[in-house]
Amino acid sequence: MRRTLLIAQREFLENVKTKGFWLGILLFPVLIGVSALLPAFLARKATPVRTFVVADATGLYEPLIVAAAEADGRRARERAPATSTNVPSESTVRPPADEVHSRFRRVPLPPELAGNLEPGILEARLRPRLAENGTNALFAAVIVPRGFGPGSTNALHFWCANQADGSLRDLVERTLTAEFRRQEYARLGLDASVIQRTEALRIPIADLNPTKAAGSERVGLADQLTQWAPSLFVYLLWVAIFAVSQMLLNSVIEEKSNRLIEVMLSSVTPTQFMMGKLIGIAAVGMVMLSAWLGSMFGVALWQTQSAAQAAAGSGAGEIAQALVSLLRGSWLLPAFAFYFACGYVLYAGVFLTLGSLCNTIKEAQNLMGPMMLVLMVPLFLMPFIPRDPNGPLASFLSWIPPYTPFVMMNRVAAHPPVWQVIGTSITLLSFIVLLLWACGRIFRLGILRTGQPPKFRELLRWLVGKDHP
Amino acid sequence: MALAVLELKQVSKFYGDYPAVQDLSFSVPAGCLFGFLGPNGAGKTTSLRMILDILRPTSGSITILGADSAARVRDRLGYLPEEKGLYKKMKAWAVIAYFATLKGVPTAAAKKRAHALLERHGLGQFAEARTEALSKGMAQKVQVLASIAHDPELVILDEPFSGLDPVNQGVLEELVLDLKARGRTVIFSTHVMQHAERLCDHLLVMARGRKCFEGSVDDARRLLAPRVQLRARGDLAPLRTLPGIDALSELTPGEWEVRLRPGTDPQSVLAGCFTLGLPLTSFEATRPSLHDVFVHLVGAEAREAGR
Repeated sequence: MRRTLLIAQREFLENVKTKGFWLGILLFPVLIGVSALLPAFLARKATPVRTFVVADATGLYEPLIVAAAEADGRRARERAPATSTNVPSESTVRPPADEVHSRFRRVPLPPELAGNLEPGILEARLRPRLAENGTNALFAAVIVPRGFGPGSTNALHFWCANQADGSLRDLVERTLTAEFRRQEYARLGLDASVIQRTEALRIPIADLNPTKAAGSERVGLADQLTQWAPSLFVYLLWVAIFAVSQMLLNSVIEEKSNRLIEVMLSSVTPTQFMMGKLIGIAAVGMVMLSAWLGSMFGVALWQTQSAAQAAAGSGAGEIAQALVSLLRGSWLLPAFAFYFACGYVLYAGVFLTLGSLCNTIKEAQNLMGPMMLVLMVPLFLMPFIPRDPNGPLASFLSWIPPYTPFVMMNRVAAHPPVWQVIGTSITLLSFIVLLLWACGRIFRLGILRTGQPPKFRELLRWLVGKDHP
Repeated sequence: MALAVLELKQVSKFYGDYPAVQDLSFSVPAGCLFGFLGPNGAGKTTSLRMILDILRPTSGSITILGADSAARVRDRLGYLPEEKGLYKKMKAWAVIAYFATLKGVPTAAAKKRAHALLERHGLGQFAEARTEALSKGMAQKVQVLASIAHDPELVILDEPFSGLDPVNQGVLEELVLDLKARGRTVIFSTHVMQHAERLCDHLLVMARGRKCFEGSVDDARRLLAPRVQLRARGDLAPLRTLPGIDALSELTPGEWEVRLRPGTDPQSVLAGCFTLGLPLTSFEATRPSLHDVFVHLVGAEAREAGR
């Protein structure tokens, strides 16, 4: 045992000293932060102002389009995130108006095109400016033909080179459709305001959960989180396995390619060697994961506190509050720890064994491919499991040991049948024992092998045959 | 003979149908410097790996330090494998200390011993260097030190001299002799005969998986007939009549070589020349070198195997 721990200790220290480890630890929270803040930042700073011209032969619709574009800018200002202040204040501080600009700006027609040109000629002259890319370029041109109105077959021409950003087109379409409807209601003698009120009607709906205690059946945010939080854990397990898999592969390959393996094997048994590596790298993974969880928990706590201080709890604060209470007082964490440990040992054993079969990183990467496919499956299936946590797909996958940890993590919050929990756990644990035995056998033969990685049939012979190293 | 620290009895190792080692039996007395010779592919490394219980023999038995498997006496063994390598990112002292702790030396003592060893072998200033920064010779020395840092009773070195320059080969020879002086047993494999000639008390020559000679260096030399080189003005053909002469040949005009039957005293040739009145200008009796013996023993096989 001392030797196993010595190997584990060296493995841990050597990995912790690498730049990759610290990058991994720091990059994750940074990525989370960036992904949380970047869209808002980009929306504020990086979306270009779309300039457009309107040529309205009817003279009826141009003011409506311009007003809609301005209203869109006002709404954007209101939605812009408030600069957070730790001092409680009755009014949140909005960024100054010029920082949040409208997405769209109507520019007047160039003087040489102003006046009532034939639409065909106007469009032909505008085309080059619509197609170009410079500062002078126009994003779009809205050409309203003569006779445009409800019942007319004359189409509005929306000229735009950018087919990806349909926001202006949608705005124009929405605005004018509403106008057409208004005119139509008026023609039919209906009161438009009555119709608006009617359309605004919504039925009240209350979400109730029969599994909750009487009196508190109402489904709150925390309940939804309880159902979805496991997905987060599944991602974490997946990321953790993914992050250390390379480490596991490489660490055996270093000893193999340096032929250090022989010195090791003259000092320890293959089993001690393998277990030492497994434990050492598991420790690395745990440190990384705790750092990630810790930083997420920290951010959540901080959010709750600032939300509690601010008079109005923002959405994020509420979610954080729910998350914190969820993590504090539930049995999800122990369940998570169990499935995490099982999932980790299962995959780590496989990766170590693969490493023992290869002499170079390149060979290892060839073997990684199929393993990655196996690992992708839970990731793809994850959206479906929480929706029907006790359905046939989830139940079925629970019995496949490589997927049990992923699927059961997702299911624990939905109270799966106890016999399934126990049954799948026993299957999983037996599978791990069997797998570690097989891995140990292949490992013993694999680590001394040089040259090509063995064929699959050869591996089977190693497992069942009497081959000794 | 002193107590044997290692004994192999009819050890064979087959890979499928291919015999890597066949019927190998020998014993190594305590405190001896034991040379393990043989051409490439003779089965030296496989034998050493079996001795260390890294590989299991297909048949036969191995007794090492009184145990039936090296696994039981790991802490008393030191091993330097044929292909050399170190953890690249670790410091020199840390590598030595790490391997010593794996052999049961307490952590603090291992650290102290690592520094002391590096100091004693002229690497003190490189103790804090990462092994990837060391020259090949230095790295190899570090590796040798790592294999003996736990002060093993039996040290097994596979090709310890390969890749070292003559100066460092000398340093390593001193280290090996020092181990012997302290009563340790050293087994080393090599195909450089000069080392074996200088160092070994006892030799074992392998070829194609089988033992083809075992004994002392002198025993080995006796395998080859002694030769005498002669220069003379005139024909030496009458020498053929002397007893103990196996062959006589004129290498270049006036320069002759006499091959004697084993056990013949070269002086008898000199005496014979006087008796026969042959006009000698020079007489030189040469001892066959271990190199000649080696080529004699395994030359054919080595060429065969290399083909």
